[in-house]
Amino acid sequence: MIELRNVVKKFGSFTAVDHISLSIPKGQFFGFLGPNGAGKTTTIKMMTGLYEPTAGSCLIDGHDIQQEPIAAKRSFGYVPDLPYLYDKLSGREFLYFVGGLFGIPAETLRQKIEECIDIFELQGFIDKRGEEYSQGMRQRIVLSSALLHEPKVLIIDEPLIGLDPRSARLVKDTLKQRTRDGMTVFMSTHLLEIVEELCDRIAIIKDGRLIHEEEQTASRTFDGQLETIFLELTK
Amino acid sequence: MNPLVLVLNVKANAFLKSAFDFRAQSVLKNVSSLLVFGGVALGVFFLARGVTGYLIQQAHIGQFLYHRFLSMLLYVFFVTVNLGNMIVCYATLYRSEEVGFLMGLPISHEKIFIIKFVDNFFYSSGTLTLLGLSWLLGYGSFYYMPWYFYFLTMFAVLLPFMLIAGLAAVTVLMVLIRIASRIGVRWLLALIVGVYLSAIYLYFRVTNPVQLVEQVMEHYPDVNQYFGYLDAPLVRYLPNHWVAEFLYWSVHGDQARAFFPFFMLIITLAALMVVAGFMARRYYYKSWVSAGDARAMRGGRTPLLRLRVMEFGRKGLLRPSMDVLVKRDFWLFFREPSQWLHLLLMLLLLLIFLVSLGSMTLKLAQPLLQAVSFLVVFLFNGFLIASVSLRFVFPAVSLEGPSFWAVRSSPVSLKRLYWYKFGSALLLILLLGEVLATASIALLRNNPALVFLSGVCTAFIALALTSINMGAGTYFATFREKNPIRIASSQGASLTFLVAMVYLSLVVGMLILPLHAYFENLILHGTTPEGWMTLPVAGVGILSVMLFLVSTVLGLRSISRDY
Repeated sequence: MIELRNVVKKFGSFTAVDHISLSIPKGQFFGFLGPNGAGKTTTIKMMTGLYEPTAGSCLIDGHDIQQEPIAAKRSFGYVPDLPYLYDKLSGREFLYFVGGLFGIPAETLRQKIEECIDIFELQGFIDKRGEEYSQGMRQRIVLSSALLHEPKVLIIDEPLIGLDPRSARLVKDTLKQRTRDGMTVFMSTHLLEIVEELCDRIAIIKDGRLIHEEEQTASRTFDGQLETIFLELTK
Repeated sequence: MNPLVLVLNVKANAFLKSAFDFRAQSVLKNVSSLLVFGGVALGVFFLARGVTGYLIQQAHIGQFLYHRFLSMLLYVFFVTVNLGNMIVCYATLYRSEEVGFLMGLPISHEKIFIIKFVDNFFYSSGTLTLLGLSWLLGYGSFYYMPWYFYFLTMFAVLLPFMLIAGLAAVTVLMVLIRIASRIGVRWLLALIVGVYLSAIYLYFRVTNPVQLVEQVMEHYPDVNQYFGYLDAPLVRYLPNHWVAEFLYWSVHGDQARAFFPFFMLIITLAALMVVAGFMARRYYYKSWVSAGDARAMRGGRTPLLRLRVMEFGRKGLLRPSMDVLVKRDFWLFFREPSQWLHLLLMLLLLLIFLVSLGSMTLKLAQPLLQAVSFLVVFLFNGFLIASVSLRFVFPAVSLEGPSFWAVRSSPVSLKRLYWYKFGSALLLILLLGEVLATASIALLRNNPALVFLSGVCTAFIALALTSINMGAGTYFATFREKNPIRIASSQGASLTFLVAMVYLSLVVGMLILPLHAYFENLILHGTTPEGWMTLPVAGVGILSVMLFLVSTVLGLRSISRDY
């Protein structure tokens, strides 16, 4: 469902991402880990078309994001690390806006928005303007916007930053349920306990290079050892 | 180190690093800026020299009248600096995240105020300072003034003059923010617009340029002495009058009399600094809190504008992805006071311009003067279109802002987004330009051929200026800046405006000779040369289409860059 083929990103003489290749099948919850500045967000920005790779290609649902950007973008939802909204639009207006960009018919969109309001408990602030939101409120609105069009792939960069424990639980449950329903999740995070709880497979990136990949199955779990592995590999 | 010096030092270093960045792209950008700014500075220099020479040596209007005209120009300059500082100050002093950061540090409110004022003053007045200096050099060189005159006038007269305008703006702003917490921002904005328009109207009503010209020319050339008694008493207490007086007595070599207006300027600046410092100590923090409270309480207010057809969730005529873009841009524009208020102000000024033209009569016998008078109005129209384009079209892509990720990661073609923005901007600029062109030329002359010429050329100008601003605005896009006024006064924007001015000069250059021939035939022989319009219109058309192509290619390439 997600395929990265020898992806490289250079900024001048600095190589932020250095020949990364990955293949993530349908329904997998993938955790992308790495220390600060390792190249996680750069990789995600190449996957979502915000950056153009210096070399290599990123395919989402079989579509190259550079060659067929529209088809690729229809397949995924994206939650950025800094979930900026429009200050002068309300959360509801923002959801209508994003839904419109994905061409969701008006009535379906209205129902989807109501569902998101229920799932993510947005009732209290959905009609306030973006400039009045806290980080957690923004995060919940943006996550809702990414799920509106029922994407096959969800790409999320640090999804739980700023969320209170109740909201974090809501998000985790929703993501887990969606992967059970067949959605592929690509998640970048620093929260190792979340990775242990949710992810089927992890990869660790350091200085732009993939240095470790590991799967977690029912018979073989991280069992609280992920922190030790991470610290050992990234020191 | 003193925190004030420390912060200003950091800002100065950041500026120097960006100015002396030796990476290829930055060098190219800085060199082209230098060339264009240098070219314009040179243009203003020769213009000031030429205009001064023409008015004094050929039109014989005399030193007194010339310096009264300068005083009026300086008044407009003062209001521009003042209003510019007030609009930008609201963003820098009250909405900037940096203020929030500084407020959390052990730095006095007065020092934060000074840091932000200095930052704001240099940001919003940089281009005006360059223009002022170029004008001063051109003016002084006509009178063969010594080197120290320029130094003294720039740093001890013009700079204090601009600082007075800036300080007056922020001091008033602090008071206004406090008032706004009681009467609401909307009423306050309406009050500011009203006061400024009244001030401009009253100034010209009191100074009465037409009456002044008549009275002076009645005595001239028999008496070229000081006509001070003709000045209205109120005008003598305005800073623009002091600057004009300083220049008047300086060119007469009377340093003793030049000292009084200079002294008044310095004393006023010192007094304003004391007042601003006192106000900052007492009210800056309180007004900053009030501004924050006003934003936080906005949710409970009744919306100013309700338009059901533009509501999200209602089915529109366009395809959904385009429909939501139109609705988003509509609401983001009308919910941001700095956008709609600025547009309203510009439209009011256009209205004043048209009404003023309506009361003018042109009975010029010389063909060249007829051609020049037509082109002056035509050029002024072009200048207005360029200003509106710079203010509203240039920032269009930058205003996608940090939320651009939502569009960039959606299945909407970026080229389509560019064309949508270009198309909607062109439609509005074209409409405004044609109304302006037709009305201004028709108000001056009952001549369908000239109205037609003006209309066709304005269509090309609208196309060229919209594409230049759209293309350059995309190339220079800065998604971190949320304030459209700051985007429209950035280095890239100034460069774009100067390119637009060069383009307008070329258009005028293409029209002047055919127009001269047209008026010559009309006035001397009562006939018009056949097909006289074809060549100049074709020239303007080709130039405009070429600019459209170059700018659009630049814009389309730039919009897909890494975000």
